[in-house]
Amino acid sequence: MCPVCHSLEFEIMDLSGDGVVYSYAILHHPQNPAFEYPVLAALVDLDEGVRVLSNLVDIDPRDINIGMPVTVDFRPTRHDGAVPVFKPKAAVDG
Amino acid sequence: MDSRLRDTTAIVGIGQTEFSKAAGRSETQLAAEAIVAALADAGLTTADVDGLVSYTIDPVEETELVRTLGIPEIHFSSRVPYGGGGSQGVLLHAASAVASGIADVVVVYRAIKARSGERFGRAAVGGRGTSSHSGSTAMQWCTSYGVLTPASWMSLNSVRYMHAYGVSSEDFGRAVVQFREYAANNPIAHFYKKPITLEDHQASRWIAEPAIRLFDCCQETDGSVALVITSADRASASDEPILIGAAAQAGLFEEEIASNHYAKDIAVMEGCAAMADRLFEGHGFKRSDIDVAMIYDAFSPMFFLQLEALGFCGPGEAKDFIADGNLGPQGSLPCNTNGGLIGEGYIHGLNLTAEAIRQLRGRSSNQLVNPTTALICASRTGLVLRRP
Repeated sequence: MCPVCHSLEFEIMDLSGDGVVYSYAILHHPQNPAFEYPVLAALVDLDEGVRVLSNLVDIDPRDINIGMPVTVDFRPTRHDGAVPVFKPKAAVDG
Repeated sequence: MDSRLRDTTAIVGIGQTEFSKAAGRSETQLAAEAIVAALADAGLTTADVDGLVSYTIDPVEETELVRTLGIPEIHFSSRVPYGGGGSQGVLLHAASAVASGIADVVVVYRAIKARSGERFGRAAVGGRGTSSHSGSTAMQWCTSYGVLTPASWMSLNSVRYMHAYGVSSEDFGRAVVQFREYAANNPIAHFYKKPITLEDHQASRWIAEPAIRLFDCCQETDGSVALVITSADRASASDEPILIGAAAQAGLFEEEIASNHYAKDIAVMEGCAAMADRLFEGHGFKRSDIDVAMIYDAFSPMFFLQLEALGFCGPGEAKDFIADGNLGPQGSLPCNTNGGLIGEGYIHGLNLTAEAIRQLRGRSSNQLVNPTTALICASRTGLVLRRP
């Protein structure tokens, strides 16, 4: 339900996939066998104004900075699914 | 808001079990043992009890406690959400029930096997024990990306806070060193006789870099704490009553349990600030009235955010406030004198309440000189307690 108008209507729209890192953390411990460590966790503020929690990929943990531009990538999961993750924007441009 | 709660109710008994890493008995037994001890401290019996309050996350059922303890009849029970953030709300609920006349004597309790039972710090994927505390669908986003523990949830807030105000791991470490110094002198603390230096803190391994090291984390603990609340009139006949001067609870739109990832600015704790307004202004207290404070230190960065939200210093100023020694026994705001959840143990915040009462009774192992007014804050619930 929309918390503003209480409407139950919704539509699915495409997003640019671009955003900036709002916050992050490099997770070392404890470890779960389902993940590779360190886990690079991030909150990404998408250009459309939505914040999502995700992982950063294709980046050295030491190079992560708050405010850095990132863009979406997709990583396969079990059952033929895929989850959105984010990589540095620069890696795409060049 | 102008609360009618002020000074109308009192805490008349504290009870607790030993704090350990393996209690070797059920949470129900731990709760019952702590309640029996609290009633003995209050000079009351189970026949006097007619209300029970705990956390939504607590595994001990009220009906089972009534049978276990031999309570003849209860007239009130309730539970507070928000996990440890609700830990001081149990006293708000108990005091409200007593002040309204619904109940005469209410027991609040928390029994936990956070080490030998379900560990919060374990990296579990999927179903945690109860739905009521894992709170929200927001957690599904966390677990899918390996953000599995309270430390990892809160590290995202912590790193943003560090970025916003130029705060370092060393800054967090200064608070931890002070808590460990208190714990070193507290015989029931996990870290009794084990103080650390800032260098020790900096040498402890990363849990969630660059915010949370091992020594920034609270202790997963087994044990139980119970408190007995009754009217101020009835309490005047007891030995060491402590008045509930103020009690407040605030939950805001866009908050989550144990994280706040989607609020506009996660480097501030708006829910805590809203709670503090109701606690202080709503009950006629000033920050300067507070002689000693217990502030929920599940992870040291969260202590900083609360200190600022409570209004004891401005945004980003906690590091300087702490570096100046204000948390120590000679400081302007001695904090977590039992060692906090980091140094004493983690009975999900209710052991902080017990320590505040000990300070006001003059019985803390780190006793301050004649404190009369204590603050307890667990982000979105809080109390001001007073010696009559």
